[in-house]
Amino acid sequence: MDVVKNEESNDSTQRYEVLMELGDCHATVGRYEPARQYYNKAASMSPDEAGPYVGLGVVALHENNLDDADIAFRVAYRLNNSCSKAFAGMAMIHQQRGDYRGAFDLYLKCMELDPDNLTALLGLFQASCQMGTFSKIIHYLELYLKMHSADVSVMFSLSALYMKEGRLEDSKNLLLNAVALDPSNQDAVNLLEEIEHKISQDMQLEVNI
Amino acid sequence: MTGPLVSIIIPTFNRRLYLPYALGSAVRQDYENIEIFVVNDGGEDVSDIVSSFDDPRIIFINREENRGKSYSLNQALAKATGKYVCYLDDDDIYYSNHVSTLVGVLESNPDYHVAYSDLYKVYCRILPDGSRQVLSKVVEVSRDFNRYFMFYFNHCLHISLMHRRDLLEKTGLYNENLNILIDWDIARRFAFFTDFYHVEDITAEFYSPLEDDSRISIKGRKDLGEYKKNVLAIRKTRPTKPWYKTKDLSIIFDTDEVCGNSINTIGQVVGHTFYPYMLYIPMPAHRWTQMNSNFANMVNVDVAEQTSRLEKIDKALNECEGEYVVILPNGFSITDLWVEKATYALDNSCENECFELEDSSEYCFAVAARKEDFIKARNQFPEYSLRDSLNAAGLTVKKVDEMTSPFEFDSYVHLAIQKEEEGDWKKAIEIYEYLAKSSQNQLWIKTCIVKACFEAGYYDAAIKFSEELNNKRPTVNTLLRHAKICRKMNDYSGAIELLRKAEQILEGKELIWM
Repeated sequence: MDVVKNEESNDSTQRYEVLMELGDCHATVGRYEPARQYYNKAASMSPDEAGPYVGLGVVALHENNLDDADIAFRVAYRLNNSCSKAFAGMAMIHQQRGDYRGAFDLYLKCMELDPDNLTALLGLFQASCQMGTFSKIIHYLELYLKMHSADVSVMFSLSALYMKEGRLEDSKNLLLNAVALDPSNQDAVNLLEEIEHKISQDMQLEVNI
Repeated sequence: MTGPLVSIIIPTFNRRLYLPYALGSAVRQDYENIEIFVVNDGGEDVSDIVSSFDDPRIIFINREENRGKSYSLNQALAKATGKYVCYLDDDDIYYSNHVSTLVGVLESNPDYHVAYSDLYKVYCRILPDGSRQVLSKVVEVSRDFNRYFMFYFNHCLHISLMHRRDLLEKTGLYNENLNILIDWDIARRFAFFTDFYHVEDITAEFYSPLEDDSRISIKGRKDLGEYKKNVLAIRKTRPTKPWYKTKDLSIIFDTDEVCGNSINTIGQVVGHTFYPYMLYIPMPAHRWTQMNSNFANMVNVDVAEQTSRLEKIDKALNECEGEYVVILPNGFSITDLWVEKATYALDNSCENECFELEDSSEYCFAVAARKEDFIKARNQFPEYSLRDSLNAAGLTVKKVDEMTSPFEFDSYVHLAIQKEEEGDWKKAIEIYEYLAKSSQNQLWIKTCIVKACFEAGYYDAAIKFSEELNNKRPTVNTLLRHAKICRKMNDYSGAIELLRKAEQILEGKELIWM
């Protein structure tokens, strides 16, 4: 026989969680100094956790302090070598320093660990654009869309890549979905028009031949 | 504040570092009419700590011999003169309103002789200098009083409890033969005589250091054999009658021999019954003596060798003392709640109703009834079978169904937790909402609803219930959850405000004197 206790569990990480939440909230609204203080408190509370260093790295990135950000993300990685956010942070630093190849590889590592990470996905997309290569990221965008089937911004990015790859029907279908979900998305509407026009041109060409 | 005298008892053993905080929290109560007993249980000298408070309300018992916690409590109780008594361990603390809160409800509700509040369990890390770094403060137990639960296990922690001192005249003092669970033992005995008033305010903290195996309560629990021995010793304890709030149960064992199979049945009864009972075994006294049984709470009903089965039962029925009677046939399947479901059904039944036990059958008839109903039926129709005599006397024999249980609430919570684990948050919410319609454990259920609504993504509902919860009684966890909901709704300043409150509780801002 088993009878249950109250809902509040045997939890030894509550204070750490409160400090991290405070850090994240302050960082989100742009109050970087208190955010940094809370992340530092969280780090001293749980010295083995990577989370506070990721937070410190993000704050440093916002302040455009790439060296401090680099150190923080490296510490996070050292504490937890499967911390996807540490990879994403290091990738952003590489990207901002103009090392697109390095950024691309680190974003890829992040996506392997966490296919759900939108920051890394968009970073991957940007780095691809900056390098002029797209083929590798289609897989990750498709994977992401499987998990977030209503994400119009990713639909748009993927349809643009399909178009560049010559997969016009795939691109059109995706854009039709995007426009159905968000009819006010003018970029998607415009791209859809462009693709439909291109498809009709191609068909005309085939008929003429 | 004026009011009756309250005795606070603080037993201590080798905790010089923490005793000043415990004693300080007792001295700083906003209720002044108190006497504070500090009992040194043969540990290192603490007289300097006690005298440093320079408070005439402190009575110091400085014993050199280590005799255990129960002995220390009893020693203080022998000298206590307060109308009410409460307890504080030497490494825990009261909030300043602890005594006033509990005295207030007991004075306003004189039918209750015991009251208890909620506590924070404080998970902490011991730093090299011995100080405690707080990691979490959680309300681990916040249950409304439930007598069946109290008979099964404790849900009122010792330092949260205040009781009338004269209640001990009925229950007896602390059991000095127990190594652990002495608090459950005394609370369980209280439950025979009074209901407990549950105050949902958090009025104290008890500390639970991580990886601290030196505590007696932890060491005792690790030795499973010793632990079970203590549990059984507690469950067999029957305070002196009359019991004002508990119906005694007599189990009449319908067997021809006490050997083999029937000994096994008796063992099962002992192992699976937590409702207070006496087991009556009708058999010739000389055979009973030969058995040399060590089972607790067993009584022989002496019958002649050739007595028929029904005559034996009738004799036991007339000799037994319980208000409820269960007839237990030999070989009957005994599992958890086997008899408690029936006593619970009787508690909630009309007159002239009795209950056939869940696994009872035509050939192995087990039944629970009020003693007077049973005797009336047997006296009127002694030649009939048990079932027929009950029917003939106009009693309705109902079958205990699967859902009848003193732990119905827990069964539903279990089901909801199962649904949560399956990711079916919607179903979990439905179950919690059903439970919320009952009058029990409202704060607990509301906490569960908030969690389930949050996980299900129903943020509007989550925020509504969360606000209600935090207006009534904010805890670190409820504030943290509320803040997470605010974040999801992009209300960052709201989240920060809630998190700051949670942080202040964790930092002990209300304990600024420490």
